Amino acid sequence: MRHRARWIALATGAVVAVLAVVLATQVGTDPRADANKSHLLGQNAPSVDLPTLDGGRVRSSDLAGKVVVVNFWNSWCIPCQEEHPALVEFFRRHAADPGFAMVGIVRDDTEGAIRRYVNDEGVPYTVALDPGAEASLEFGTRGQPETYAISPDGVIAGTQFGPSSVTNLENLYAAARGQR
Amino acid sequence: MKATLGVLALALGASGALLGIGTLAVGLARGDDRLLRVGRRYVYVVLAAALLAAAVMEWALLTHDFSLAYVANNNARATPLLYTITGLWAALEGSILLWGLVLGGYLAFVAHKFRNRATDPLVAWALLVGLVVALFFFGLMLGPANPFKTLGTVPSDGQGPNPILQNHPLMAFHPPMLYLGYVGFTVPFSFAIASLVTGRFGEGWLSETRRATLVAWGFLTVGIVLGAWWSYEVLGWGGYWAWDPVENASLLPWLTATAFIHSVMVQERRGMLRVWNLSLVIATFCLTILGTFLTRSGILNSVHSFTQSAIGPTLLVFLGIVAATGIGLIAWRGDRLRAPGRIDSAVSRESAFLANNLLFAALAFVVLLGTVYPLIAEALQNKQLSVGEPYFDRMTTPLGIALLFLMAAAPALPWRRTSGDVLRDRLLVPAWAGALTMVLAVALGARELAQVLAFGLGAFAVAGIVRQYVIGGRGRRRTTGEAWPVALVRMVRGNPRLYGGLVVHVGVVIVAVAIASSSAYSTKREVRLAEGQSATVRGYTLTYNGSHSQRSGQKNTVSADIRVRRGGDDLGTYAPSISTFPNASQGIGTPSVRTGFREDVYLTLVSSPNEQGRVTIGVAVNPMVLWLWVGGGVMALGTIVALSPSLRRRTKRVPEPVPVEPTPLEPEKVPV
Amino acid sequence: MSRRNVAWIALAAVVVITLAIVAWPGGGRPSDAARVRSVSSELRCPDCESQSIAQSSTETARAARADIRQRVAAGQSDGEIRQAYIDKFGPSILLKPESGGLGILVWGLPAAALVLGAGGLVLALRRWRREPHLHPTDADRELVQRARPR
Repeated sequence: MRHRARWIALATGAVVAVLAVVLATQVGTDPRADANKSHLLGQNAPSVDLPTLDGGRVRSSDLAGKVVVVNFWNSWCIPCQEEHPALVEFFRRHAADPGFAMVGIVRDDTEGAIRRYVNDEGVPYTVALDPGAEASLEFGTRGQPETYAISPDGVIAGTQFGPSSVTNLENLYAAARGQR
Repeated sequence: MKATLGVLALALGASGALLGIGTLAVGLARGDDRLLRVGRRYVYVVLAAALLAAAVMEWALLTHDFSLAYVANNNARATPLLYTITGLWAALEGSILLWGLVLGGYLAFVAHKFRNRATDPLVAWALLVGLVVALFFFGLMLGPANPFKTLGTVPSDGQGPNPILQNHPLMAFHPPMLYLGYVGFTVPFSFAIASLVTGRFGEGWLSETRRATLVAWGFLTVGIVLGAWWSYEVLGWGGYWAWDPVENASLLPWLTATAFIHSVMVQERRGMLRVWNLSLVIATFCLTILGTFLTRSGILNSVHSFTQSAIGPTLLVFLGIVAATGIGLIAWRGDRLRAPGRIDSAVSRESAFLANNLLFAALAFVVLLGTVYPLIAEALQNKQLSVGEPYFDRMTTPLGIALLFLMAAAPALPWRRTSGDVLRDRLLVPAWAGALTMVLAVALGARELAQVLAFGLGAFAVAGIVRQYVIGGRGRRRTTGEAWPVALVRMVRGNPRLYGGLVVHVGVVIVAVAIASSSAYSTKREVRLAEGQSATVRGYTLTYNGSHSQRSGQKNTVSADIRVRRGGDDLGTYAPSISTFPNASQGIGTPSVRTGFREDVYLTLVSSPNEQGRVTIGVAVNPMVLWLWVGGGVMALGTIVALSPSLRRRTKRVPEPVPVEPTPLEPEKVPV
Repeated sequence: MSRRNVAWIALAAVVVITLAIVAWPGGGRPSDAARVRSVSSELRCPDCESQSIAQSSTETARAARADIRQRVAAGQSDGEIRQAYIDKFGPSILLKPESGGLGILVWGLPAAALVLGAGGLVLALRRWRREPHLHPTDADRELVQRARPR
């Protein structure tokens, strides 16, 4: 029973030290890292059937056999506006390829705002609406912009959370083509 | 110019603290009283420097001096005056400056209060420890968290404060209150360290710092309640407590401090629990630093992560030093500190305080574990997890209920020991009040165990408090013949600590009942309305009467006019809104709340009018929420009463029957 | 038996009966709506910090509520729904950590600490009750006398 306080204090000290080490190892790591990568990588892409802005529909079944790049975006998100030129440039490079398709799915926005944006900025690829956010949920999106590359056999081969550059997009494309 | 002046002030504060530490240290080592008297005065230098630095910062904010990076980031020409002033605590660097200022104030208070005992090594050591803490924060501001950093090119306009920090006047009160609480715990900590170093284990330092601890506790309580209020009025998710890491960080020291406020009474009365109380004081201070670290290092997801900065590692090192010092000193001195003492019965006030401490410690442990568990999981398994409301609710509810029970029963327990008869006499009426409340709640349809117990135990506790007031007042009337109001006031002033404490308990019951009701009986709906359309939610008819937008300063606001009716009564028009700011991509929703005694109607604008002119309105009917703020106010009031000077030092107690047993003859023992 | 004891026994009966009414199982399985509520309150809304799908009003949260409603209607168990969300978003989607594996730490430690603390308290109380009463000796009295201000 002698030095009881000492032993308790030392045991507490040991626990605190372990906690401090745990905290120290986590300084500088990003608590959102997990939220910034897709858990669907390597899985079959969810199938979608969405209305497009020009009155048509975009269906997964129609896109089978192609490399599909899906970009979730909207009109009010500033990073989406930042990446817009890169998306347009990337699409222009591959637009002629019959084995390639690109769809921008609108996440969390109104049709009117999107129409205005498309009129002002120009979006050369298909713009699909996602009423009820079902596709956004199916893809496991946490926000926008998020970009997914789907291989011809329908597997998600690459993802990019946050604004992408042309290089990013080319890498995604290569991954979906199976060239990497 | 302002930057230079500000940095000079910070340097003055740091060097003042350093010189104070040096002078006191040399004075203590040589036993030179003159040095100790001089050393004390450096505390005032620190306060003056902090005042000067804060004044410079306010001056820069008020004159929109965007050559300072801090001003450019947290102020804009169009920022309203109130939020220009509150800009001082709108981001990290300014908050640290406020911290330094408050710390300077507390230290000066201590230095002034003990001016006649400046040569007492205990006081000198306490001031030295306080100055070390001050030195750390001034060092922080001179290093990684410099509020007076300048910009190479001066922007023509600043970014303005974070949008959600310029949306409600509570912003002016919540952070300073919190800091007054947080920083105040430095005082008992300093004295605890001083008493460990000097080996002066008497109860003297306790009663001397009790006031400071209680002041800090009161401010922290108010700060936490205001934070909940702010969250409810501004964030628009309909709740007031989300178990966000930052909220938890403010709750942790509150829990250990509450434990201390109770257990310290055992030490004052019986001279026991010295080691435990010192540990609580040190733990409280460590938890304030830990909280600052968790919220400012950006290692946790939080709505409060307004700024991320490089001060994380520095804070962690400081925390390590503080914890190691405290634990090391206790390990070194702990066994000598132990006082002989006995507790006669498991059914006594002492034992109740021990149980109280066990529960508060368990609560603090749960909150701490839940908060850092994502970090542990990531360190051990590289897996990211979240711990949220469902976990905390599940774990804290039973502990809270147990604490309510203790709060109801314990004040009736006499010190030392009691007989079952006395206890059964004292508790019978309050217990029946509780039981009948439970029956009433169940009859009215309550079917949740936690809620029913909270209502019942709350009534039990309040009835016990009323009984104590009535019996005390009656006793006084019998001896003095005063009228009831006079008797009650004089009774309270005769023992403000006891009766103020009981008022705090009433506040706690009000808060507990409000939490229990609002968490279980809220209704939440979303309705989509075109202009002129109505919807009915839980008896309230809401009519959408169109929307309008307006610009003020940097803010662009769309609000929807919603007329609220209940039956035939028109309750007025409420305008929930969404504001957009140039420095934020997403709109910030501002709820509009119809506050009522029984329930609130909480309206949010979920989406602005679409092409067809329809809006989506979030409607929540939250019962009893008003009583949370009322309860917080009652707790503050009770704290003020408890702090008021006692009319007489020793009150003549109203005799309550305490059975006195003859003490058996035992070998006499000389206290060590 | 005194009147007071009768009053206490009656009180105990009232409390027990009331609590029994409260704790009495409501009968049958929980309704679909109740299940949607409970599952969605334990899942974090994907595009917010710490609010649950049940609390949040973002579009994704609304979609997730609809999705959970469909899954419940389709007969999926709570566990299956949770798993579907973990597959899609990772384990950080759960607001209430799982109890298996490392989760023992976060669920078990507080209970263990409470039991340990209570045990320690009982032991301490027993020891304190064995401590002898202290009586001042003449030496003590003399000390006090000397310390007392004149």
